[in-house]
Amino acid sequence: MSTSRRVTTLDSLCVTRVSRSCWHALDDDRVIGRGEVSQRPDGRSFLSIDVWRDDAFGRLAEAMLPALPKPLYTVVDEGDAELTSHWRAAGFSVRRREWECLIPTAPAKPSGLAVISPEVEPLAELDRVIRAEVEASVGWHEMPAELLGPGVVDPSKYAVATKSGRYIGLIRVTQVQRLPRIGLIAVRADERRRGVARALLGHALGSLHDRGIDTASAELNESNTAAVALFDGFGARRVGSNLELVLR
Amino acid sequence: MSKTGIEVEGTVVECLRNATFRVELANGHRVLAHISGKIRRNYIKIVPFDRVLVELSPYDLDRGRILYRYRN
Repeated sequence: MSTSRRVTTLDSLCVTRVSRSCWHALDDDRVIGRGEVSQRPDGRSFLSIDVWRDDAFGRLAEAMLPALPKPLYTVVDEGDAELTSHWRAAGFSVRRREWECLIPTAPAKPSGLAVISPEVEPLAELDRVIRAEVEASVGWHEMPAELLGPGVVDPSKYAVATKSGRYIGLIRVTQVQRLPRIGLIAVRADERRRGVARALLGHALGSLHDRGIDTASAELNESNTAAVALFDGFGARRVGSNLELVLR
Repeated sequence: MSKTGIEVEGTVVECLRNATFRVELANGHRVLAHISGKIRRNYIKIVPFDRVLVELSPYDLDRGRILYRYRN
């Protein structure tokens, strides 16, 4: 079955749906814009529209939005005012903001908690427990989008805090060779507010410092005041922000 | 079949304001490039020295869009 269907035709610009998830804006048979939709592991549909000409954005949005079930989401760099205004004009509004931060590394201070490299099975079990706790509280859609679905846990990217041999919290650091990224810090619900996250972050930054790396990066949900306070305590500097927009 | 833009490989040499990057192409030419919506949607971060695939604008060969970040 062909999915190609011309849905809009005005002057020389037209929009064509080329597959279930992709639209093209064409000018004289040249692709000058592309719109795509994909689903995140949490089930939400995210859109993107890239254009080489401003007028193509609205045309793509006009063709795509009525054809897709709501709500629809997208992500923009808050510094990209032009793109943000295009999405606002299409009816999208801000749902949440994520700060991009740079954190200086420093030698780790003693925390009184054991932080170790994890073994696969207990790490996977901790990951399952924490995911269930997150889903039962704020919901996974409030968590970083980069995180893979359950069952995919690479121990080399993690450190865990232990108490009496039990794993009680984890931290995930990726892309150490580029710009190290703190992807996730999470603590079991019954062990929170006891300095576990602080110990984990201090350990990760200390390990990076020992390797001669002076900066790490992280994204912080603006509404997660505990995380913002934690990173602020380590001297995090905000260098940018992303907006998650929604059309309901 | 519709004509799409020219795609070339390059290296990010500078992160600029407004989600823009300066990318040096294999032939030494430098372009200003935004990141594609697909990269943004997937929270893929671009930093200097990343090798990337860039689609050049059909209207201005000094502008481009980063479509893909290669694993270094």
